[in-house]
Amino acid sequence: MKKISLIVILAIMNYSGLFAGGYQVRLQGARQSGMGLTGTSLISGASDIFYNPGSLSFLSNKFEFTAGGNLVFSNVEFRSLESDYIAKTDNPASTPFFFYGAGKISNNWAAGLGIYTPYGSKAQWPEDWSGRYLIQNIALSSIYFQPTLSYQITDNLSLGAGLVWVIGSVDLQKALPYNEHSYVQLNGSATAFGFNIGVLFKPTQTIHIGVDYRSKIEISLEDGDAEFHLPSSITSIIPTNNKFSSSLPLPANLDFGISWQVSQRLLLSLEMNWVMWNCYDTLTFTFAQSGELLNNKNPRLYNNTVIPRAGLEYQIQSKLKIRTGVYYDDSPANDDYFSPETVTLNTLGFTFGLTYHPIENLNIDLSFVQLMGMESEKNYSPGNFAGRYQSTASIPGLGITYNF
Amino acid sequence: MKIKILFSFVLFLALIGACEPKTEEFIGNKGDADFSRYIALGNSLTSGYADGALYKSAQSMSYPAILAQQFKKVGGGDFIQPIVENEDGLFDGKLVLGYSMDCRGESSLSPIDADGNPVGYPAAIQPIGYTVNNLGVPGAKVTHLIFSGYGNPLGLQQDPPTANPYFVRMASDTSASVLAEAMKQNPTFFTLWIGNNDVLGYATSGGENNTSNESITPEATFSYAYELLINTLTSNGAKGALANIPDITAIPFFNTIPAMGLLLDENAANALNEAYHQAEMLIQSMGLPNFSYGFHFKAGYNAFVIEDRNFPYPVPAALRVRQAKPNELILLTTPQDSIKCAGMGSFNIEKQHPYGIPQQFVLDEEEIANIQNAVKAYNNIIHQLATQKNLAFVDVANLLERAKSGISYDGLIFDTKYITGGVFSLDGIHLTPQGAAIVANYFIEAINKQYHANIPKAEITQYPGITYPD
Repeated sequence: MKKISLIVILAIMNYSGLFAGGYQVRLQGARQSGMGLTGTSLISGASDIFYNPGSLSFLSNKFEFTAGGNLVFSNVEFRSLESDYIAKTDNPASTPFFFYGAGKISNNWAAGLGIYTPYGSKAQWPEDWSGRYLIQNIALSSIYFQPTLSYQITDNLSLGAGLVWVIGSVDLQKALPYNEHSYVQLNGSATAFGFNIGVLFKPTQTIHIGVDYRSKIEISLEDGDAEFHLPSSITSIIPTNNKFSSSLPLPANLDFGISWQVSQRLLLSLEMNWVMWNCYDTLTFTFAQSGELLNNKNPRLYNNTVIPRAGLEYQIQSKLKIRTGVYYDDSPANDDYFSPETVTLNTLGFTFGLTYHPIENLNIDLSFVQLMGMESEKNYSPGNFAGRYQSTASIPGLGITYNF
Repeated sequence: MKIKILFSFVLFLALIGACEPKTEEFIGNKGDADFSRYIALGNSLTSGYADGALYKSAQSMSYPAILAQQFKKVGGGDFIQPIVENEDGLFDGKLVLGYSMDCRGESSLSPIDADGNPVGYPAAIQPIGYTVNNLGVPGAKVTHLIFSGYGNPLGLQQDPPTANPYFVRMASDTSASVLAEAMKQNPTFFTLWIGNNDVLGYATSGGENNTSNESITPEATFSYAYELLINTLTSNGAKGALANIPDITAIPFFNTIPAMGLLLDENAANALNEAYHQAEMLIQSMGLPNFSYGFHFKAGYNAFVIEDRNFPYPVPAALRVRQAKPNELILLTTPQDSIKCAGMGSFNIEKQHPYGIPQQFVLDEEEIANIQNAVKAYNNIIHQLATQKNLAFVDVANLLERAKSGISYDGLIFDTKYITGGVFSLDGIHLTPQGAAIVANYFIEAINKQYHANIPKAEITQYPGITYPD
């Protein structure tokens, strides 16, 4: 006899995803941020620890320290399909940052440590918006620690490699359909290892070629906290305090860059980044209790992307350089599995920057990146959540470099 | 110089930083239709009846109310409903989710009587005194809509009643018909969703009670009344939308208690086999030496025992039972405690005789076929008239068909399950506000298509579904 009670309610539970996919944040050096986020073929000093450890041995100073960060002001507007309903995110600014310290050990060797944040995102949708059963808010962050060695083999060839240790964390909230105030909050953190290797080659005095590979890193959350906020009539079926595990890949990148010192004052930089997003196939959640009701798999089916970038730098006078750049970033997300937790659209980026060099050992860098997401119609087909999205982001950045 | 450059840089940042994301604007369009005077005709589904009652908040989220709100964005006028200023309903019967103790002393979350203070007689049938756009009348069949006197309070006393208390409340005079109330307002647009009750009364009485109020409306009668409705409603050039009748045997009211729902352990199964063996011996002793029920109970799920109205032998009524076939339907109103503790559907231990679920709680194959055939015939009529008169055709039958296997909207999955399905309210027949929004969007799709309009759809998750108690 089928009880008229609530055994099947959980069929409606349909977790959606967790981590930001197409929100790689390449804002890992102020100079590079100004130049279309190119950097693989540049010799930029300590920040090469991220962009190309192979360049690090060309460090021109004995020691160099660089620190900086960005303020990412990004927002998304969503309009339901065939409807005039609009929702807009009210995202808090996210703050990717970087710190690099490097030194020459010998003529040929350089070593350094980088701390940086290449993946992360924040999205804050209105609590009561129409997509609330997919996501209400999410904050993803990752901090990479990378000790690095670089060796100059010949005058025009250098290699570098770094070991990467990552601490990643996620905090997300989504509504549940039991009453107006039901929701679940998931948070957890995990660590993992990876590596970053690169090579820099100077075929001529004015042309540099760089190749860099950053490995895929799988963040496996084992013991995340799942807090269910439910009406008490359901708590006998769904425990309010649960544990979950999940796993999320931070994809591998293969970068090719070429730069050309056109004249004394003008430097040109071109780059392609191949981002291997296809590792982000399914997002799975496994719960310690009531697993048979709560566990779920969510297709993401991301595609690899290739990002072309171009940047230039111009020396106006001995104390001032200005920069600009442009790039085009294809969305890795699948049009039919597009979840509002990660609104990643085809994006055009324009960048601007300058370095002011007030005194001998100090550089102050300013940068500004403007991203324009191209409005597009997307659907999360497992939940039939469809509409048009548009996104923008404005990212001012600051960096300070001290060398001696 | 430096200062200047720095300054212009900062200014430049401020300018760019001001740009906000903006999606392409939705441009609504009424197309060839005119929604300035919209009238909704229908039955309880149209009125906003839910959870076994007509009450304020459910009315305010009826599918016509949602439609009217969307129409307003393309030039639609005001939409007045006969709101019951009471959350407990006009009459008794409202259900809420709560805890109830069953005959075994087990308490579980289930729909229980709201135990509130509904309006009740006589206040409930006091004429409201204003004209309404929502003419949905709970209980109305197609012929009722054209019947003058359906709002006459004297008709309530007749047996069977010729009036309907919900319409008595709305009627502007005692000789008014629902159709006349509509025409008085000279509608520019109408929706009509009628016909469910023409089979529902039969179905909810288990196909047994063949009084005029509970029998299936003959096809010819349906056709006559429906055509008259459409001809009249379109006589002033009004445009409209006609919704067809879903397969009512698919709604939770008929599908929550499964025919194969008799759960037994090994001991209980053995005991039942033994009990029916005794009953067979009794029948054999009545001059039917070869009689066998052919039952074999086993541990696990078994078919319920039901009363057999076609039992071939003249034995005492209690012995005339059979097992339900898997596709036969048992009504939501079947008394649970009788099943759990008195042996209904299996064997009456106390009185030591077979105890079939009474026929009034069962739709057998023949009765199901009667219902489905009638619905098919009605739907042909509706579809034909929609085509003939160039009216939008809303295929609600298709919606329910799709919902059987679950349809997703906005990250939720809706299906036809009781309570958890999200579409049907606690009475297992009428819609939740979310269900009403889904239906409204089906109307909008059909209207947009027929009249080249672009009415924005409603946001389903902006309406409540089933709310679980704290």
